[in-house]
Amino acid sequence: MAAAGRTFSESWHRIADQKISLRSTVRVRRQLFRGEKWYVLQDPFNNHFFRLRPEAYAFVARLRPDRTVEQVWEECLERHPDDAPGQEDVIRLLAQLYFANLLYSELPPDSTKLFERYSRRKQREIQSRVLSIMFIRLPLFDPENLLKRLLPFIRPLLGPKGAVIWLTAVALAFKVLLDNFDAVTAEAQGILAPGNLIFLYVGLVLIKTLHEFGHAILCKRFGGEVHTMGVMLMIFTPLPYMDATSSWSFRSRWERALVGAGGMVFEVFVAALAVLVWAQTGPGVVHSLAYNMMFIASVSTVLFNANPLLRYDGYYILSDLLDIPNLHGRSLTHLRHLVEHHVFGCRDSHSPAQTEREAVYLTVFGVLSGIYKLLVYTAITLFVADRFLLAGLLMAAFCVISWGVVPAGRFVTYLSSNPRLARTRPRAVAVSLGTVSALLFLLAICPFPNRFRAPGVLEAATYVRVVNDAPGYVKAVLVPTGSRVIAGTPLLQLSDEELNLEIAATAAQREETLALRMRAVYESTAELEPIENRLAMIEKKMKNLQEQREALVVRARESGTWVCPRDRELAGTWVARGMELGALVNDDAFRFSAVVSQGEASRLFAGEIQDAQVRLAGESGASVAVGNYNFIPFEHEQLPSAALGWHAGGDVAVSVKDETGRKAAEPFFQIYATLHRRPAVAFLHGRSGQIRFLLHPEPLLYQWARKFRQLLQKRYQI
Amino acid sequence: MTVPASDYRATQIVVPAKLHGGLDRVVHAAVGRSRNGAAILRGMQAEAEQIVENGYAFRTLADGVLRARLQETASAFRRQRKGSEDTYPEALALLSEAAERSLGLRPYPVQILGALALARGYLAEMATGEGKTLTACLPAIVAGWSGRPCHIITANDYLAGRDAEEMTPLYSYCGVSTGWVSAPMTPPERRSNYARAVVYTTSKELLADFLRDRLQLGLRPEPSRRQIRQLMPFRTPGGDARVLRGIDTAIVDEADSVLIDEAVTPLIISHPQPNEHLLEACRTAHQIARRLTAPADYCVEQKYREITLTRSGREKIEASAQSLPGLWQGAGRREELIIQALTAEAFYQRDSQYVVNDGRVVIVDEFTGRLMPDRTWQHGLHQAVEAREGLELSDPNETLARLSFQKFFRFFRKLSGMTGTAREAASEFWHIYGLPILTIPTHRPCIREQQHDRIYPNQEGKWRAIAEAVMRCHETGRPVLVGTRNVAASERLSKMLADHGLSFRLLNAVRHQEEAAIVAGAGIRGSITIATNMAGRGTDIKLGPGVAAIGGLHVIATERHESGRIDRQLFGRSGRQGDPGSACAYVSLEDELFERFLPGPVRRWLAAPFRKRVHRLQPIAERLRVHAQRAAQRLAFRQRQSVLEMDTWLAEALSFTGSSVEQ
Repeated sequence: MAAAGRTFSESWHRIADQKISLRSTVRVRRQLFRGEKWYVLQDPFNNHFFRLRPEAYAFVARLRPDRTVEQVWEECLERHPDDAPGQEDVIRLLAQLYFANLLYSELPPDSTKLFERYSRRKQREIQSRVLSIMFIRLPLFDPENLLKRLLPFIRPLLGPKGAVIWLTAVALAFKVLLDNFDAVTAEAQGILAPGNLIFLYVGLVLIKTLHEFGHAILCKRFGGEVHTMGVMLMIFTPLPYMDATSSWSFRSRWERALVGAGGMVFEVFVAALAVLVWAQTGPGVVHSLAYNMMFIASVSTVLFNANPLLRYDGYYILSDLLDIPNLHGRSLTHLRHLVEHHVFGCRDSHSPAQTEREAVYLTVFGVLSGIYKLLVYTAITLFVADRFLLAGLLMAAFCVISWGVVPAGRFVTYLSSNPRLARTRPRAVAVSLGTVSALLFLLAICPFPNRFRAPGVLEAATYVRVVNDAPGYVKAVLVPTGSRVIAGTPLLQLSDEELNLEIAATAAQREETLALRMRAVYESTAELEPIENRLAMIEKKMKNLQEQREALVVRARESGTWVCPRDRELAGTWVARGMELGALVNDDAFRFSAVVSQGEASRLFAGEIQDAQVRLAGESGASVAVGNYNFIPFEHEQLPSAALGWHAGGDVAVSVKDETGRKAAEPFFQIYATLHRRPAVAFLHGRSGQIRFLLHPEPLLYQWARKFRQLLQKRYQI
Repeated sequence: MTVPASDYRATQIVVPAKLHGGLDRVVHAAVGRSRNGAAILRGMQAEAEQIVENGYAFRTLADGVLRARLQETASAFRRQRKGSEDTYPEALALLSEAAERSLGLRPYPVQILGALALARGYLAEMATGEGKTLTACLPAIVAGWSGRPCHIITANDYLAGRDAEEMTPLYSYCGVSTGWVSAPMTPPERRSNYARAVVYTTSKELLADFLRDRLQLGLRPEPSRRQIRQLMPFRTPGGDARVLRGIDTAIVDEADSVLIDEAVTPLIISHPQPNEHLLEACRTAHQIARRLTAPADYCVEQKYREITLTRSGREKIEASAQSLPGLWQGAGRREELIIQALTAEAFYQRDSQYVVNDGRVVIVDEFTGRLMPDRTWQHGLHQAVEAREGLELSDPNETLARLSFQKFFRFFRKLSGMTGTAREAASEFWHIYGLPILTIPTHRPCIREQQHDRIYPNQEGKWRAIAEAVMRCHETGRPVLVGTRNVAASERLSKMLADHGLSFRLLNAVRHQEEAAIVAGAGIRGSITIATNMAGRGTDIKLGPGVAAIGGLHVIATERHESGRIDRQLFGRSGRQGDPGSACAYVSLEDELFERFLPGPVRRWLAAPFRKRVHRLQPIAERLRVHAQRAAQRLAFRQRQSVLEMDTWLAEALSFTGSSVEQ
C-alpha cells in the first residue's frame, strides 16, 4: 500500500478534521499469508471480513475518537516515514472501512446515503441471485446451538482416534471395492435409470448434508461459529449448505485447510461405510441407497470437491495453502495482465502476482481451470440435454450468454473505455480485431479440407463360394486355407459311411437283379421286361451314388485363393448338402463396400466429392487410392459384414434383436469402390476399414454447424 | 429571518441523481436526442410568433393597466397557482410590451423563442449579438416573481454589472428587484445583493459564496436536521453570516465555457498554512531534479502531460537521497516529489502558464490570459514552480472546501443556459446536466465568409503568413481581430507586428480590466486587435462607420483549438447580426492539437507536400483536423466525466464526514 497512492490528496480536507475510529465491536486477528503479516478485521454482526496490510493497520489502529485523522496521519508519517499510507491511500482505506460498516464516527451518519447503500446492496443481492439462478441459496436456520450441543459427543472423534477409525474404514472399503470391482462397474450402468433417480437424489442429499455438517463441526471444533444453514438450489436441485466462513479468521493455516477438507473427510467416511453396507446386503432399498451414496461421494469428491480447478472445497484449500487468496480472481487478473502487457503493450498494467513463483501458479491455474471448467460444463450440459431436452437447451443458452455474450460485451466496453488502455488503445483494438478477424477468417472463410469417413469392408470383386454337393463328415481339409489353387484341385475330403453302405447295397441289388435276369432268360421270358426296367433303375441309382461319392471330394471350380475361415473346426463335422465351406477368392480385383448413414448420404449424392481413399484397419499409415466408386441409390438394411456393426465392435448401430449382428438399426446406403492395388497393403477379403471422402473444401464453421445440426436431428428429431 | 422555513430553503440542496451508465445511458442519450429535434424547434417557433403577435395587442393598454396585469401574473407565479405555467406565453407577451415601454426594446421573435427555451430548461444556442441579455431577462423575471432565488451567470464581472444595470428599468417596471455581485464586494454588500430577486454574477463568485456559506453550516448541514434543531428552544443554528438565500434557478450565459471548458477546475476555498516539511522537500526535489537530464533519466510525454522516470533516473535519485531525511528513504515518496519537480520544469512555462509579479508566482489563465492572483496550484506544485524560478517559497494553502463547477451546477433545480456554440458538446450537456439543446435561428441571416484553413508545415511559416495577412488586410482598412491560443502566442505575434511598425491593441494579462472595452472597439476602421480566444467573451464587436462597406471585420485564428466550439466563437465575432465579415484559421502541423492527436507518421506524411507549397492534401488535412479535434474533445469529455464520477464516489465513500455536497 505504501507507494500506491499519492502522498497528498485534494480531498484530504474532507477527512482531516474527522474524529473516527473502528467500531468497538470489531475484532482484529493477526494472520500470516506467504510469511507476511496481515490483519483481519471481523464484524461479528454479519460475519464479514476485511483484510489489512500491517502499514494500513498501523494507521487504523491509531484512530481514536478523540484524535483527528490528520493527527493520526502525521504521527504515522513521523514513525514510519516510508511505510505510512499517503493521503489518497488513507481516503481509500477509510472509504472501504466505511463501506464495510466498520467505522465509528462521532457525526451522525448520513442516513440517506445509508439507506441508499442498503437498498443498493439488496438490489445487487437480488440481481446476483437472478444471475446465479443455477445456484440459489436460501438460508433456513442457525445451527450454532445444535452444533454446540453436538460438539462434546463428536469432539473425541476429531483427533488421532478418529483418524485411525477413518483410515481403517476407508482401507477396508477399498479392499471390498477391489474385490467386487465387476459388480461395481456392472451396477454403474444403471445409475441413471429412471427407477434409480430417486435413490440417487436421496443419496445426494444425505451425503451433502453430512458433507456440510463436516465443515460445520470442524469449524466449531477449532473455535469458529456457524450461523447459517440452508438450502441451495443447485441446477434447481435442492441441496443443503452451511456457512463456515468464520474459519477464515483462524490463525493456523492447517486448521483452515482442515475445515475446508472437513466436508470431504466426512463424505469419504460415509462412502466407505456405504461400500461396506452395499457389499453385505442383497438387492433392495438399502443396497441401492448404499450404492448410490458411494457413487456420489466418490464422483463428487474426485470431479468437484477435491479438484481445485473448480471453485469448491479443493480450490479454497489450495488457495490457502499456496497463500494466494482469491486465487481464481487473481489468476484471471494475472492472465489479463499478461495479455495487456505483452499483447496490448500496456505499461500501466500490473500483475497481482508478487513473486515469480506466484506468477507461474497463477498462469497455470488460470489456464487449467478455464479449460477444465469449459469441459465440465459442456459435459454437464450435454448430459442434461440428453435426458431433458428443454432444460439442456436452457442451460446451453445460459452458458452461451454468461460465457459468450456477457464477456464479449464486457470486453468491448473494456476495449473502448478502460482507462488503463488509454495509451495503447489503437494497438489493443487492432490486436483484438486482428485476432477476431483471423479467427473468423480461419473458421468462416478459409476453406478446410472437408473429410467424411464411412466404415466398410474389403471384398474381392469376384469370389466363389465353395459349397459341398454332397453331405458328409469332413475327413480332411486337403489344401490349407490361403493357398492358391487352380481349378479342379481337391480342397476337402468328405466321408460318408452311409453312402458307402448304400453303394454296397445298391451293388448287391444289382448283383441280385442280374441273377434274376439270368434266371428269367431261362425260365420265364415274360418276366424279363420288368427285371430289365429294375436293372436300369438300379444302374441309374448306382451312377447317382457314384457321383455322390465323387462329390465327397470338394474341388475348386475356379482358380483363386482358397479361403476357409473354419478350417480347424471343420474336420469331423457333418456338413449338410449345400453348406458354404469357404470361398475361392479372386485376388486380382478388390472392392470396398462402405456403409453411409442417411444423414450423410445427401452430401455424397450431391456429388461434391473430390477424392477418396481407403484405409484398412491396422494399416492406418498407408492409404489406398480409390479408382472408381458408385453409390447404390437404394436403402439397405443388411450390413455387408457383421464386423461393421456394434456387436462386433464396429461403428454402425445394429438392431438388438437380430442375432446375426448384420441388421442395421437404421437404413443405410452402400458405396462400392474399386481399389488400386498397393504392394504394401495386403488385400484380404473381409478386411474392415474406412473410406475417406475428400469433399469440396469448406470453412470449419460450416462443417461444425452441420455436425451440430445433425447431432440435434439425430438426438431430438428436430 | 422571520420566515421559519427560510433557513431550510437556503440550505436545501437537491443532490442530483448519478450519471447514467450502461444501457440506461444509451436510453438516456436517445431521450436527449429526441429532445433536440427540429420538430420541437418548429413548435416553439410558432409559439414564439404567436406570443409576439399577442404582445402587440397590449400596445394600447394604459400603463397602469399593464402594470396591474403584470402584478396579477406575478402573484399567480408567486403562489405557484395551478396552471400558472400555462400562462407563461401570456406572461412573455406582457413582458415584451413591458420591455418596449421600459427599455425601448421590443424582443424579436428569436429572443422570445430563446426565452421560452430557457424557461423550459433548454440550452439555447444563440449567435453573438442576438440580444442574449434581454433574452435571459424574460425568464429571470418570471423566476423572480415566483420568489425563488434566480441567478444569471455572466462571463465576467464587467458583464454582470453592465447587464444588471441595463436591464434594471425592465425589472423594476415588472416589480422584480435586481442586483449584481462582483469580486471586490464585501460580504454585507453581497448579502444585500443576493437578497434581490434576480442576481447577476459570475460563476466563480457564486460558487465561492456558496462554499463559504456551506463552511458556516459546520458539521450539521442537512436542512432537515437544522430545521428540527431550530424548533428546540434556546438553540439557534449558526451560519448567520451566510450571504446566499439558497440556489434554485440559474440562467448561464456562455454556458459552454462555464459548464464545460472551465467546469472541471474546482473552486477552492483555502488559507495558507505553514508547512516547513513540504517547503524543504520541494527545495531538495528541485535540486535533485536539476541534475537529471531529459532522455536519459526521464521521458516527457507531451500527449498525456506526464513524466516517467527511467531506470538510470531512479538510480540517480536513489543515490542522491541517501543522506536525506526519512521522507526520502522510500522510493515511492521521493519519486513522486521528483516527478512533481520535473513536471514544473517541463510543462509550466513562464509567461505562458504563470508570470512572476513582485517575487510571486501568479497563475495565468492560459486561455483568457487573465492573471489569477488568488489561485495556487496544489500539493506543492506551486512551490515546485517557485523553487524552479528561484523565488522565496510561499506557504502552501490548506483546502477548506472544494467543489467543481460541474458538480455545483448540477445542484440547481432549474438550470438553463445560452451560448453561441453548443452543438459540438450536445451529448455532454445532456449527459451531465440534462440540458437538451435548441438552436435558435439568427434574426438576420449570417453572411460571414468562412475561408479554408491555411496549412503550413511549421510554426515559422505560419507566423510569417499571419503577419503578412494582417498587413494585407490592414492596408484595405478593414479591422482585423487575431485570436491566439494563449498569452505567449499573442506576445510572439505582437513582437512581429511591432517589427513591421504596425500599431495594434493587445489584450493581455495586464490589461484585463479594459478587456471588454478593447474588444468592443475592435470593429473600428483600420484597427488591429490581438486577443486570446477566450478574452472578452460576451462583448459584441460593433462595426465602426464605413467598415461594413469595405467587408467588415476579418478574424484570424492563429491556431485551431482543441475544441471546435472555441474556434467557432472566435469566428463568430465577425459577421454578427447580418454584418459582412470573414474568418480564416492559420494552422501549422506543429501545433499542439496535431502534435497531441495525430500520430507522428501521419503528420510527417502530411507535412511533405505542404513544405513544397503543394496543396493537394488540403481536404485531407482539414478532415484530419476535424478528427483531431474530435479526439481531443472525446478525451476531454472522458476526463471531465471521470472527475465527476470520482467526485460522486468520494461523496459516497466519505459520507461519514457529514456532508455530501463539498468534495
